[in-house]
Amino acid sequence: MSQERRVPWVIKYRPSKVADVVNQEEAKKVFLSWLDSWLRGKPEKKAALLYGPPGSGKTSLVEAAAKEYKLELLEMNASDYRRSSDIERIAVASSRGASLVGARGKIILLDEVDGISATADLGALDAILDLINKTAHPVVLIANDPWDPKLRELREACLPVEFKRLTKTEIRKILQSICKNERLECEDEALGFIAERAEGDLRSAINDLEALGEGFGRVTYALARTVLGYRNRELDSFEVVRRILMSKYAWQARAAASQTDLAPDELIQWINENVPRQAVDPEDLWRAYESLSKADIYMARIVKSGSWDMLAYASDMMTAGVALAIRNPQYKFKWVKYGFPERIRMMAKTREVRQIRDDLAKVIAQHLKCSTAVAKSEVIPVLRVIFESNPEYAARLVLGLGLSDSMIRYLSEKNADKIVKRVGELRAELRKALLEGLEGPARKGVGRAEAPSKKPTERKGAKGPGGLENFFKK
Amino acid sequence: MSARGTLAELLWAEKYRPRSLREMVNQEEVVKRLQVFVKERNMPHLLFAGPPGTGKTTAAHALAHDLYGEDYRLYMLELNASDERGIDVIRTKVKEFARSKLPANVPFKIVLLDEADNMTADAQQALRRLMEMYVDVTRFILIANYPSKIIEPIQSRCAVFRFTQLKKEDVVARLKWICNNEKVACDDRGLEAIYEVSEGDMRKAINVLQAAAALGEVNVSNVYKVVGLATPAEIRALLKSALFEGDFLKARENLRKLMVTYGLSGVDIIRQLHREIFSSEVSVPEEIRVEIANYLGEIQFRLVEGADDEIQLSALLARLVLLGKLLRQQPQARPTKVK
Repeated sequence: MSQERRVPWVIKYRPSKVADVVNQEEAKKVFLSWLDSWLRGKPEKKAALLYGPPGSGKTSLVEAAAKEYKLELLEMNASDYRRSSDIERIAVASSRGASLVGARGKIILLDEVDGISATADLGALDAILDLINKTAHPVVLIANDPWDPKLRELREACLPVEFKRLTKTEIRKILQSICKNERLECEDEALGFIAERAEGDLRSAINDLEALGEGFGRVTYALARTVLGYRNRELDSFEVVRRILMSKYAWQARAAASQTDLAPDELIQWINENVPRQAVDPEDLWRAYESLSKADIYMARIVKSGSWDMLAYASDMMTAGVALAIRNPQYKFKWVKYGFPERIRMMAKTREVRQIRDDLAKVIAQHLKCSTAVAKSEVIPVLRVIFESNPEYAARLVLGLGLSDSMIRYLSEKNADKIVKRVGELRAELRKALLEGLEGPARKGVGRAEAPSKKPTERKGAKGPGGLENFFKK
Repeated sequence: MSARGTLAELLWAEKYRPRSLREMVNQEEVVKRLQVFVKERNMPHLLFAGPPGTGKTTAAHALAHDLYGEDYRLYMLELNASDERGIDVIRTKVKEFARSKLPANVPFKIVLLDEADNMTADAQQALRRLMEMYVDVTRFILIANYPSKIIEPIQSRCAVFRFTQLKKEDVVARLKWICNNEKVACDDRGLEAIYEVSEGDMRKAINVLQAAAALGEVNVSNVYKVVGLATPAEIRALLKSALFEGDFLKARENLRKLMVTYGLSGVDIIRQLHREIFSSEVSVPEEIRVEIANYLGEIQFRLVEGADDEIQLSALLARLVLLGKLLRQQPQARPTKVK
């Protein structure tokens, strides 16, 4: 591998000629004849909509064609659609005949148009329609899903060009040639595995190959399985949940759920995490949670009774039930970023502080002869009030209960240093009092209210017997 | 009192816990009967039932103390069934202790099972056999808030003692006595306020008393300050973002904080929400308070059945978001903000 040229392989091996775009003969024919009609000056439609699965060569074909026809490529993608003014700027530029620099023609490429939000990117769709009306250059739109309702008007203004999903064999052939070119040692089985996993997406297949080739210097089946298998699972979870939530029919949601290797109790967490992101409409969200919480109840009953044959109902409620609850078309098919179940991450992140809290609860439970649950819900909050408002008194409680510094910090971040310092002083005082032997043998435990007669009258190094009012002085 | 005694401080709920039955000021009927057991140095298995903070655990320890003296813990195994609720604990720890040889100087050993109503049904069944097999050397004291959750065969093997809710004047008198002992200024209205917020639960009342004292003196304003401060800010924040701002994701973030960092259970959170919903600081139409209370009840029931805390409480949040939206659409019933 050459060190100096660190371009991602997907760019390095991007087709430079139209002929290199594989297996899209039909699309190529339609697209090129449309482009020719533009160059002759009489296009039937001023824009083309290229659609099809990811990684099937849509962008590549436009780029290769621009190169061959020596056209300047003016490109925009989803992140640029935020403001309609951006699109209008392009529209103005494209309405002029030729670009100022030289007399070259242009192709205007709008990538990922299905990423436009009908609400958030207000006006963007209108701006694009306007651009198509005014343009003096070919406009190419690219989308994965052209049937999205919000794209209806655009769809009608464009010439549709369909791209097919690549087959496993074609992907494999391309991977082989890359391996050869990179002088990479590749097992045939490994390439087969990568091609299978890519599900027709050449870009992801090349990325996977690069990940293995660059990372390990060779591509074996065992490596592919362990390295890629793991990533696959995570990617799948997002995709599976997305498919479930966007399902319009019960069978769709159920079919989507059957494609995951997440266990039902994991899947319900994934859905729980992401359902509020998709179901933005409060009514949809409420309905979705009615269903999801029912699924959860069924799961609890299954665990309790051991009747695993009831799992089907829990599954239906968490998949089809939730999917059909999300109805508002404004949000149902909107692409939003999904997340990994946050609870699992939070548990890992907070392990330390939870350990401190549990230890503290145990100490309190022992003193008060109560359960740790009661200590957590009733006693710790009250202790926290004391630690937050009266550091002096808190320090005495630390001594009496035997709390650690981290427990102090858990109870009051703001007073922790003060309290820790004061505890140190009190300990020193205590040692001094013991060393001076003023009280004979030190008693174990602490003073008790029912033994007031044992109170000594004088004491050095300690506060006078004035009682707590001393402690409470701030 | 040692230097340690004045420099170090305990939680008053521990410090002022009666050590002997003689010191117990409430539950006179129960105490009288228990003192008979002490006198005769014999007793059946016991089941103490009653609301929290009415002296059940205290009575059990005091009974053992009066039977065996200061070192009573040598002859007693204490377990809190909420923390050790499984059948394994019964089969190992409890069984081992129950069948161990009886020390010469005592008539029997005691197994104290606190919060026994939290034991699984399997564990209770196992327990029942132990109670029969080792009755000659070991007596059991079971403590429960809800005796109905103790299986019938165990109930029938125990003498049941019902602990009644403490009266207001008794709680106030005890709190006052503690204040005098600690030389803390207090007024009656402050002590009465403590009784109100702790719903007759003596342990809760003493905890609030101690925190109020730590704020300076025990008066009404300090008592409510303690209750306010002891309620996690996230409870109110959660209500605010769900009900008034319609922001589900933000509300859920607060929910997770309460569960993960504070370690509150779903039921704890529901109880606190319940209190909050009826507080004057949350201003919603009265019928909405009732509707939310109804839903809280439903969710708590589901949790008791074993459902997942986060999913069920998220369902509650979704409900609150919808309620809030509907409220905002009806201008005559517009909710105002949480303070």
